[in-house]
Amino acid sequence: MRRRAALGGLFAGALLTPRASALAGLLQVNRRPSETFTLPNGLQVVVLPSSRAPIVTQMLVYKVGSADETYGQTGIAHFLEHMMFKGTGVLAATEFSRTVTRNGGRDNAFTDFDMTGYHQTIASDRLELVMRMEADRMVNLRILDSELRPERQVVLEERRMRVDNVPSEMLDEAVREQLFGLHKPYAMPTAGYADDVKKLGVNELVAFYRRFYAPNNAVLIIAGDAKAEAVRKLAEKYYGPIPSRRVVARQRPAEGGGDLPQRVTRADERVPEPRWSRDFLAPSYRVGETRHVHALQVLTRLFGGSETSRLSRALVTRDKIALSATSGYGATSLGLTSFEIAVQPARGRGVAEVEAAVGDQMKRVLDGEVRAEEVERAQNRLLAGAIYSQDSLASGPRLYGSALSTGGSIAEIDGWPQAIAAVRPDDVVAAARHVWRDEGAVTSMLTPAGGWK
Amino acid sequence: MTARRWLALALGLALIASRAEAIEIKEVTTPLGIKAWLVEDSSTPVVALSFSFASGSTGDPETQKGLTSLTANLLTDGAGPLDAQAFKQRQEDASAALGFAASLDHVGGSLRLLSARRDEAFELLRLAVTAPRFDADRVEQRRAQMIAGLAQADQRPASVAQRTMMATVFAGHPYGANVSGVREDLQGLTVQQIRDRAATVLTRSGLIVAAVGDIDAAELSRQLDRAFGALPAGAARPALPDWTPPAKPRTVNVERPVPQSSVLIALPAIPRDDPDWHAAVVLAHVLGGGQQSRLFTEVREKRGLAYSVSSALRSQRKASLLVVATGSAGEKVPDSLRIIKAELVRMREGVTDRELADARTYLGGSLALLLDSSSAVASLLHGLQVDRQPRDYLDRRAALIGAVKAEDVRRVARRILREEAMTTVVVGKPAGATATVTVEP
Repeated sequence: MRRRAALGGLFAGALLTPRASALAGLLQVNRRPSETFTLPNGLQVVVLPSSRAPIVTQMLVYKVGSADETYGQTGIAHFLEHMMFKGTGVLAATEFSRTVTRNGGRDNAFTDFDMTGYHQTIASDRLELVMRMEADRMVNLRILDSELRPERQVVLEERRMRVDNVPSEMLDEAVREQLFGLHKPYAMPTAGYADDVKKLGVNELVAFYRRFYAPNNAVLIIAGDAKAEAVRKLAEKYYGPIPSRRVVARQRPAEGGGDLPQRVTRADERVPEPRWSRDFLAPSYRVGETRHVHALQVLTRLFGGSETSRLSRALVTRDKIALSATSGYGATSLGLTSFEIAVQPARGRGVAEVEAAVGDQMKRVLDGEVRAEEVERAQNRLLAGAIYSQDSLASGPRLYGSALSTGGSIAEIDGWPQAIAAVRPDDVVAAARHVWRDEGAVTSMLTPAGGWK
Repeated sequence: MTARRWLALALGLALIASRAEAIEIKEVTTPLGIKAWLVEDSSTPVVALSFSFASGSTGDPETQKGLTSLTANLLTDGAGPLDAQAFKQRQEDASAALGFAASLDHVGGSLRLLSARRDEAFELLRLAVTAPRFDADRVEQRRAQMIAGLAQADQRPASVAQRTMMATVFAGHPYGANVSGVREDLQGLTVQQIRDRAATVLTRSGLIVAAVGDIDAAELSRQLDRAFGALPAGAARPALPDWTPPAKPRTVNVERPVPQSSVLIALPAIPRDDPDWHAAVVLAHVLGGGQQSRLFTEVREKRGLAYSVSSALRSQRKASLLVVATGSAGEKVPDSLRIIKAELVRMREGVTDRELADARTYLGGSLALLLDSSSAVASLLHGLQVDRQPRDYLDRRAALIGAVKAEDVRRVARRILREEAMTTVVVGKPAGATATVTVEP
């Protein structure tokens, strides 16, 4: 998805035949064990044990996000996420977070295009408490109009802070509308359009909650100081009794916006210097030419992943056209995603110059100029990133949550390092040729009020 | 307090004691005399280092604001025989991440490395701190990036509010200057000035080091001596002038064309070594330290005036502040300010037993929640040393927080929450009567 980080991965113990010693070393790192099981009601549970600190994280991810909304009711997934912190039949309003805090823990939640997640980190002997409360609000949420009204203002303030106050985010909404098609799933902003949010009421939120919040439409991840057997018992006790519901399978379009290429410009008095981006529709792990997804992760690394990547070397270091030049690609999505190239031009440099320089770098890749050595360096970086992600308690639940809620499997997560290590220079060229096409592109510019001068 | 609540409190404390045991902090002194705190943890093949040199942006000369930041940014842009590209390539090939950044009081550094590649990673650190190149083309690029960064920050309401608050509260003191500098000064900085500044900053006197991860004391010792051993001892730093806190309330409005205004309220707080420090920590928590806090309840939960509202203590070597931050649509700012200021006044009456008990449970253990990664632990250990805390502080913190009584919070509230010392900053579209809000205490 646009401006979303690429999927990392944990390590599998088994080895391919690696080509280079550095890659071999990185592949040999043992992966953290994970255990998974599914309750009879369909709730998938993943346990990621780590005894490093006596704390535990519970993350419950529902397989529903803003891309499951309909135009006219945008923002409902996010609004519901806010209301989940109000009362249930058992807990009074706001008692969920108060109880977590009172017990020395922290909690929060997030809404994304394909998923909505709730998480708490707390001393491991309080795991039962947070599992009991999380299970409770899966079925017993009470949405009251008196609580919804002030919360709607909070949601609108959040939108102002994250989107309306940030010109680049406003442009992002406009780019998505072109790239994915107006009113299509990934074109509708997660924060919702303000006019829609103002109209959402109790009935709409309750209907959405009943439709999507069910054990068979969720993944539970417990990471940290917890044993699988103990987690299983608690999960059976608290989540087990919740009946499953019929949830209609989610659909995502196989195509993007209908009228590409497009150019989108936002001239904004709040912008001091112009920015230039180009987004291409790209396959994800689920939709499109999925055989390219690992090569695309290598491509974005070597093309625009750091200051030693091609774009930066050429546009920033050598030609001094830009202050920064990067690319980004994330494969974790239920539908199509995007490959983005972004340039912050140096003062006084024009749009034609930037586009020619970016075009020149793209052409080299498309012409097949990709060296084995730079592919290997990119692979190294990707695999090292996965080792570093093992060092963080928070990264495991995020990784598993987003993969499993977008149709991924544990086997895919485990196989990721080998899949990355198997990418060859030819694969990178083929992936670039597939994605870097005008008929899937939106070029966008963010400029000062007077335009790009 | 009911028996049941006592039980909860006792449980809370037991819990915290068991957490503190999870971290064993060793002090390492190298043969060359460099001291470091170390937590060994071989559960992942990763080492994180957090360190700092004892001079920050307050050392920028009068017409060279931004010098220390620019210098710090350039330390990973080539060193010794390696130009910027070669240096970064070596770093990437070793899967190491090295970075530097200036703050008011320090130049801080972080290094994250895979333990199997530690020789290479520490070698790059040695090169960066002992032989930075400051090649002219890199200086021009970093300078241009910093100037562009300043222009962007000037359009982000939260950044403008922060900058305005610091400049107002610390007017006339070095803390009032922007760590990132000012455009005119940055434009004039020369390579020689950068070299001189690096020579002054990069010394062993005041060097603070924390290391966490897959490395033992002997190996850390060897690597630290390699990396930092060749640095000069360094001269004593000129002391910062004392700060005289504002004695009059001030409201500063800065106009920016944004739908949501950014609001900060700053109050001079108490020094980190004040006996009431932990009472102030409790105060900031009850007031605006999370979803249970008074500000969250009154401003967000009940009235929907803001998405984010919080209060926190910030301490520097020479000053500390209690800062309340929020953001509301322009027309709602007067209401937000009115509610916040009323809560500040109410807080002077102290906290309830329930609030105090909850704050103790949470704060006693909350640091443990930060122990998420090697880098996070290293950063925490570094921060404790900067604050001149003893090595067993984490073990003692729960007891220190637990000893805070309601009357301590009330006393510290009256020391800090004074209308006459309040600086209010609003950045956004002026709406209604933002400039004339007053509070009757």
